[in-house]
Amino acid sequence: MNDRIIFEDVSKFYGEILGVNRVNLSIPPGITSLVGPNGSGKTTLMNLMTGLVKPSRGRIEVLGYPTDDPENLFKFVGYSTQFDAFPKGLTGFQFIYSYLCLSGMPLQDAERTAWQAIERVTMVDAASRKVAAYSKGMRQRIRLAQALAHNPKVLVLDEPLNGLDPLARSEMIALFRASAAQGCYVIISSHILHEVDVISDQVILLSNGYVVAEGQIQTVRSEIQEHPTQILVRCDRPRELAAKLFESEYTIEASIHNDGRGLLLKTRDADRFYLAMNQLALNGIQIESIAPADDDVLSVYEYLIGNEEVVR
Amino acid sequence: MTRLWWTQVKGVIRLELRKTFFAKRGLWIYAVAALPVLLFIAYAVAMSHEQHRTATIARDSERRLTYQDLLAIKPGMTKQEVTAILGKPPLDFHWTARRATGPGSSEEISREDLQYSDGQNDLYLNLTNGKVEGINIHEGFNLGEDAVMFAGVFQFFFLRLAIFFGCLGIFMNLFRGEVLDRSLHFYFLAPIRREVLMAGKFLAGLLATCTIFVTSEVLQTAAFLWHFNPQARDLYLYHNHGLEHAAVYVGVTFLACIGYGAFFLVAGMLFRNPIIPAAAILIWEGINPFLPALLKQFSVIYYLKSLCPVEIPVSPGTPGLFALLISNADPVSPPVAVLGILVVALLALFVSSIQVRRMEINYTTE
Repeated sequence: MNDRIIFEDVSKFYGEILGVNRVNLSIPPGITSLVGPNGSGKTTLMNLMTGLVKPSRGRIEVLGYPTDDPENLFKFVGYSTQFDAFPKGLTGFQFIYSYLCLSGMPLQDAERTAWQAIERVTMVDAASRKVAAYSKGMRQRIRLAQALAHNPKVLVLDEPLNGLDPLARSEMIALFRASAAQGCYVIISSHILHEVDVISDQVILLSNGYVVAEGQIQTVRSEIQEHPTQILVRCDRPRELAAKLFESEYTIEASIHNDGRGLLLKTRDADRFYLAMNQLALNGIQIESIAPADDDVLSVYEYLIGNEEVVR
Repeated sequence: MTRLWWTQVKGVIRLELRKTFFAKRGLWIYAVAALPVLLFIAYAVAMSHEQHRTATIARDSERRLTYQDLLAIKPGMTKQEVTAILGKPPLDFHWTARRATGPGSSEEISREDLQYSDGQNDLYLNLTNGKVEGINIHEGFNLGEDAVMFAGVFQFFFLRLAIFFGCLGIFMNLFRGEVLDRSLHFYFLAPIRREVLMAGKFLAGLLATCTIFVTSEVLQTAAFLWHFNPQARDLYLYHNHGLEHAAVYVGVTFLACIGYGAFFLVAGMLFRNPIIPAAAILIWEGINPFLPALLKQFSVIYYLKSLCPVEIPVSPGTPGLFALLISNADPVSPPVAVLGILVVALLALFVSSIQVRRMEINYTTE
């Protein structure tokens, strides 16, 4: 069995409208975030991954299984969609329980498993109420419970933090992390870049149906040559440090930090720049910290995609 | 594997039945199924009222009459001869009128209407100047006529309209309704073969339509028999194939649900607008008598008509086109008819199983 989620030259067209085009991916375990503006193809990619839509071209395999085999695929895949509609008349418990019964689980096991899933998203008190009466955040959580109910190896979550309050967000993020730590594949799409930055092991950046970058965020950042690397240096004498750094050929821009106790530098050769910094530190300037300032998702997103609909 | 599939089918049925039986948009199906029941209840009430009136006339008669007594009256008999046979009439209306005898001339005549009854059948006599001119026997209970009337309602309303549109309402919504409600992904995200899902939904629809329409059929039979007196009921049920006919009607109802259900299931997957397939299938079923023998076999009504136990006679004055619709010129034997419906249904389900595998979740285009 293949241990990756594979997209091979996958394209999806809705009539003449492009969903995604020529996507080649190999997604490893851990938390992978799909990042991109509206219409960039995030949901299409997730729907393709789960067989809800079929590729116009190319091949998709999830841990070795084709996506047109739901009977086997959804034994180890859970998908929390963005579709905010539920089968009519069901309570939160019945929603999960019915899903597990559809899986062919014996009724008693289904009941027990449904309650466990509901507990994981802290919805026990509301489980006997009709889903139609739920708030947006509760509907989001019950969808998450459905996706999690059968302890899937692959968890596909389309905007899973939408509508959740801060406490619920942190609970859910902890849940995703725990799943990833157990070796699960957690695929998340999100607009909220600072959260993506915090939780992701790797990112896939999408724009207009194309994958513009993929991999660990630092790796992606290092491959962006046209934007100099930004480094924030915390020190006691920033002006003196700036003057000294300009003597080297690696610094191309420097600005004093707003609080006067740091320096924001731009360099095209980060490795040599760090070596130079070591020398300066030895020459008596008290350096408190040196940290990259633009190897986060937000910066990478801005460099590669622009400022479209980003929630910082 | 088969055991798993059956468990999954039961899961689908449980979910679907709740929606099918209690969906607001399906309430009209109950109304359509109830219409023939109401019709037969109204008929039974009217017949009971008529029987009560007839019984009152019979009771008020001077003597107890038989049907043969009523038949003994012939035109030209005098009132004295009539009363000699039937006794003093319980209802007697007489008046005078003028009758034209030639251009500008007329004569005064004495008219009289008499009514007798044997308790079930009425005899109406028109007398002019004391002699019988018109005789009209109104049979209060005619098993043959009643059975033909029941068959007419069954074939032309219940089968062709009520079950047809009921199946349209239920089976077309099994997938189409989910797409409109944007909830089909719930099923597509479960580890269940699409064909098993389709089978579960079809069985749920079949269970719902059979429950609704078989119940309606049983209630229609009960309402139809309501106005029969116990002797007539026994005569109809046990000596006139009534019980056998009732069972056949239930069977035909069941087969109609299978046939139309399979047709509308596939139509619900292929078409967005239910009016188009409904009209197409209705026309196809309607023109069945005019189709070549080969094409006739791809119709549900062709087989159902062959299974109906009572043939509706074509009256001499019936227009040709309508007569062709009523008659079953080319019937098939019951086993062939049952097999034919099942084969047609299986063909439709096979197409559905291909279609369901191709279905995608793309609500935005709906």
